[in-house]
Amino acid sequence: MELLSRYLHAVRFWLPKPQQEDIIAELGEDLRSQVEEREAAIGRPLDEDGVAAILRQRGHPMLVAGGYLPQRSLIGPAVFPAYRFVLRLVIGWILTPVFVLVVGPATVLTSRNPSAALIWTAWTLVMAAVFAFGVITLVFAILERYPFETTFQWNPRRLPRVPPAKAAIGPRRVSRFTGIAEVLAGICASLIWIDIARFPMSLEVHGVDIAAAPIWHSFFWPILLVTLARAAAGLITWLRPWWIRARLWTILAADAVTLVLIGALASMGPWVLVAAPGLPAAGVASANHWANVGVGICLSVAWIVTLVNAVRAARRLVKTR
Amino acid sequence: MQQTVLTNLFENLRLELRRGCLILAVLAQLREEHYGYALRKALADRGMAIDENTLYPLLRRLESQGLLVSEWREEEKRNKRFYRLSGDGQQILDRLLEEWHSINASLTRIVEGPVMA
Repeated sequence: MELLSRYLHAVRFWLPKPQQEDIIAELGEDLRSQVEEREAAIGRPLDEDGVAAILRQRGHPMLVAGGYLPQRSLIGPAVFPAYRFVLRLVIGWILTPVFVLVVGPATVLTSRNPSAALIWTAWTLVMAAVFAFGVITLVFAILERYPFETTFQWNPRRLPRVPPAKAAIGPRRVSRFTGIAEVLAGICASLIWIDIARFPMSLEVHGVDIAAAPIWHSFFWPILLVTLARAAAGLITWLRPWWIRARLWTILAADAVTLVLIGALASMGPWVLVAAPGLPAAGVASANHWANVGVGICLSVAWIVTLVNAVRAARRLVKTR
Repeated sequence: MQQTVLTNLFENLRLELRRGCLILAVLAQLREEHYGYALRKALADRGMAIDENTLYPLLRRLESQGLLVSEWREEEKRNKRFYRLSGDGQQILDRLLEEWHSINASLTRIVEGPVMA
């Protein structure tokens, strides 16, 4: 019976202290009865193999003890859907895009060792995801134990509207792919703009130095706002393609600001400065003139294109009313 | 669907179906006093075999809910824990049996009745 004692000792380890003696006494009694019944059936005392077979049939000590413990789950079925939703939202829709689209490119572009920066970004993303997973699980585990009285109080009238079917939205709907492309383009444009503003860019071609004029620095925040607004419009298309009016309003607002910005820029030139120490002053002045004419033409084209876009967005907005 | 999958599915559903019935069987059997091992034998003899790892935790749960009372007593030179139905347990058993009869009758009507389109 030494095997039986060892088994009971192992079960005891997993049991809560106040109930250990009671449960072990009853379990021991049941197992002894089972052994006796088997011995009576075969007409001789059971050997160690026979006892081991009975114990194996009863199950692993931890599982047997587990049956006596209250059935608890860290996250119960009532809050699990919300738990899964928040996990997907935070890790899948916030952390990962932020790291992949913002932190990663920014780190890689500004690092002297891009591959090390990439590994650092990936590792930081993993750690951030693990941390978020832990915190969210902890919060929901607390909610599971101590549910707020208001958690399940709800009003059917406040349920969100059913998004319109694809057929109902019709051809005005913009694809999610376009939305993703707009987000990427908006973020890239913002990063490039930040980089240009931080490290004034100058281009040297055959001894001629072409640099952006200081005027651009005074437009840093408005231009950044516009590029981010375009990314936001893409984000709306990506995540909520049926929010057509929100997308159009964002585009219209960005276009309106862009028109004002281009107008202000156009009236404030020069936009580029050309310097060429080895060339005569007349040649440099001419180069300055034509370079700024080129930028002026670009600004004019951009203004017209933006105006056309704004008009199209406004018309769509009227149609979707 | 593969046979193994079907078998597993059936086993899960069978266990689910039996779960509530086991409580009823245990409560009904304990109108008469039994210790654990004898209770299991008595249930098995009547066609309601129950795993030990299910029975003993269930007995404790029912006792903690006040539906059973127990006492340790010596029998055949060994200490055994005897269980029997409490007053509350008897009341609950009566109501559960009533419910079970009602469910049984409804199911019979559903299963044996004409299938409506």
